[in-house]
Amino acid sequence: MLIAKNVTKKFGELVAVNNLSFEVKKGQVYGIAGPNGAGKSTVYNLITGNYSYEGKIEFNGQDITGLPPHRIAKAGIARTFQIPEIFPSLTVQKSIRLGSRFGARGGLDLEHTDKIISFVGLTSERFQNTRLLNLLGKKKLMIGAALATKPEILMLDEPMAGSNAQEIKSMMELIKKINQELGITIIIIEHFMKVLTELTETLLIIESGTMICCDKPEIVTSDPRVIESYLGDAYAESK
Amino acid sequence: MSLKRMVLILCGFYCVMGIMPLFVGDTDYIMNILVMILIWAVVASCWDVIMGFAGIFSFGQVAFYVMGAYASAILSVSLDIPPVFAIMMAGVITGMLGVLVGLPCLKLAGPYIALVTFAVHMTLIPFLKGPLGRAIGSGGSQGILTIPPINLLGFAFSSEQLVPFFYLTLFLTIICTLILAFIIKSYWGTAFLALKDSENFATSLGISAFRYKLMVFAITSSITGLFGALYAHYVGMLSTKMLSMDVFTILMIMIVIGGIGKYPGVVVGAVITVTINQLLAPVGMYRPLIMGAMVVVLVLFLRDGVIGLAQKFSPLQRKLG
Amino acid sequence: MVFEIIDVIISGLINGSVYALMAVGLTLVYGVTKAFNFAYGSFYNMGGYFAWMLLIPVGLIGGYFSVFFVAIPVFFVVGYLLEKILISPLRKHDDWEMKVMMLTLGLSLFMDFGYQAVFGPRIKSLPGMIEGTLELGQVVLFHQDIVIFILSVGGMICFGWLLNNTRTGMAVQAVAQNPAGAKIVGIPKDFIFAATFAISTIMVGLGGILLSQKTFIDPMGSTNIMIKAWVITAFGGMGSISGSLYAAFILGMLEAFVGWHFGMIYVQIATLTLLLVTLTIRPRGLMGRE
Repeated sequence: MLIAKNVTKKFGELVAVNNLSFEVKKGQVYGIAGPNGAGKSTVYNLITGNYSYEGKIEFNGQDITGLPPHRIAKAGIARTFQIPEIFPSLTVQKSIRLGSRFGARGGLDLEHTDKIISFVGLTSERFQNTRLLNLLGKKKLMIGAALATKPEILMLDEPMAGSNAQEIKSMMELIKKINQELGITIIIIEHFMKVLTELTETLLIIESGTMICCDKPEIVTSDPRVIESYLGDAYAESK
Repeated sequence: MSLKRMVLILCGFYCVMGIMPLFVGDTDYIMNILVMILIWAVVASCWDVIMGFAGIFSFGQVAFYVMGAYASAILSVSLDIPPVFAIMMAGVITGMLGVLVGLPCLKLAGPYIALVTFAVHMTLIPFLKGPLGRAIGSGGSQGILTIPPINLLGFAFSSEQLVPFFYLTLFLTIICTLILAFIIKSYWGTAFLALKDSENFATSLGISAFRYKLMVFAITSSITGLFGALYAHYVGMLSTKMLSMDVFTILMIMIVIGGIGKYPGVVVGAVITVTINQLLAPVGMYRPLIMGAMVVVLVLFLRDGVIGLAQKFSPLQRKLG
Repeated sequence: MVFEIIDVIISGLINGSVYALMAVGLTLVYGVTKAFNFAYGSFYNMGGYFAWMLLIPVGLIGGYFSVFFVAIPVFFVVGYLLEKILISPLRKHDDWEMKVMMLTLGLSLFMDFGYQAVFGPRIKSLPGMIEGTLELGQVVLFHQDIVIFILSVGGMICFGWLLNNTRTGMAVQAVAQNPAGAKIVGIPKDFIFAATFAISTIMVGLGGILLSQKTFIDPMGSTNIMIKAWVITAFGGMGSISGSLYAAFILGMLEAFVGWHFGMIYVQIATLTLLLVTLTIRPRGLMGRE
């Protein structure tokens, strides 16, 4: 469904993403992990057209290289951000409707947005200003607005960061629900290995913009290269 | 602000303005002030839309106003186009110029946009005064002195007869205000706000930054140019004095008094500012000095303008949070 | 013809050197405090009027030497207080960038008309620092031009040394690179902001004293100077000191050549066109980073 072919991004001297190729299949939950500064978020920014790059990205057989971000959103790729982005001037309902009005191919769909608001669990806050939401609420809002665009792929950027055990659990359930009930393909960047091993079917590990390995999570987590560069010996021993 | 409250303030303002000529219709001095209030209220509203709502630091508002005025004046003087059409064409021309100025601004960060738009303002002065301007009929440093009044079905609207001109202006102002209010409350307005709040998030939801930013430039500069043109045919003469910094400052005081992004606060700001400016006329060269000091003091102490003040002291607003 | 061109180059170099001094101050204050100062040109005129006041009505002993001696601390205090009183209270709110631009624009109008009210609307001229000429074959150099060039280049070198070798200078750089990190290591950010603003006031004020000798003190000329300084910083890349240096000399040359070949009226159009073209092609300026 989403295929990246030999994608490279340089910021001046720094090679942020180095000749990266991968494929995300329809219906999958696809994980991306790696140490800080490995270029995970950059990969997202390349897919969503925020930066120009060398190489090629295809989505549903269509070449989306070089398209501007809003066109890519309209094509069916939605995303969230690592540091929650919200619209402080708008209410929850307005923000989510905005996604539907501009991102969904059919235009504004009030029935769908109402469903989304209850789906992500923001019904009681729907008329609240988004500024007043807590961290979890802001993350839910980002996911809700992204879902309102009726995407085929949802790319989550560290959705668990800063959450406690309870919140991680509810977020994981939400992600599973999105994948299974709404049938949306998910790509997730995460640091919590437990989350990734439980959720994902394929796991891509990158370091310094280069792919280290890409396989089923149980195979990846026992790969010596991954343990050396990312997980560390302690993780291997605890297993 | 809710749509209801917005409509209420605007209706109140235009109703009061509408009946004013009944009382002061024969006092030219006051009628002139009223006409200027109407014109400036729309120009300042446009600035509030682009700066307060869309969050684009455009400092080219006076420039577009002058461009509209000169465009219409040149069209009607040099090409003998009837003023009514010249005004409309001026609106279209400034709209296009607005897009042209907006294009390089799309990729720029906030302060750079202020610089580029202000640079457009500053370039206009030597352009209009110099041989390039004279070639297109700007009249050089002397300006254009014989701009014909608006002539509609054989009736001339000019500064000779202020009451008809006032109602013509009122009519145009109400139309443009409705357009602006509609834009602010529609999904376009929401898109502007979203792009201001977080451009990355907004574009990831399918909002085209390119289209909506250019749209803001086009709409605000077009309406501004239209009223610049109207002003040109009202006063009958133009010079590059309109580009002096104190005109710019007056406009800035309006939006600061009204509250940036607190539409329709600017309308109230326009009333107060134009009145103060007229009252300060006797102090001569100290007027801009006082205006400058006012900007400094108001920016420091009147954070959200009169609308902010009203919200602060209104118990209802406090309850609603 | 050849000698005319040499004259033009010399004049471009001298203007460029003073512009560099002013633009470096501006780029520093933007790089460190992110405040966009629209009153910069009025500070330039403050320099001119300050020198005029000390030299003509007061008749200070020691001429320009004493003027510089008094001006530097005075400009520092003025800049420091203005930042503390006018700009730092705005910093608390989200929209402070826009508010700073508006406030400084108002301040600029206030200062310009203040000069008019105090000194009268007519232009004033400053006496030269030094008389005489230096003749190299057919090329004639004014001693005054040479001194202006040396002083502004010297000022910049001195400034660069302070920035790299003093505690305050290093703190300024730290705040510019990483404000949050600087706060963690205990750098008093508010003081650095005010001090940077004050230093930039000194630089533009000195620029005013130097260049007003060649031109005039025009109470209404400050917008032009402000635009020039901003064009240089934007052209060179805001926050990039080396970029500002190159840009200042490029602009000085451009001005001299356009003024000589096409006439003064085209100078401003040329500079602003240069700005628009540069920013369209390179939105971050010549040396600005992505």
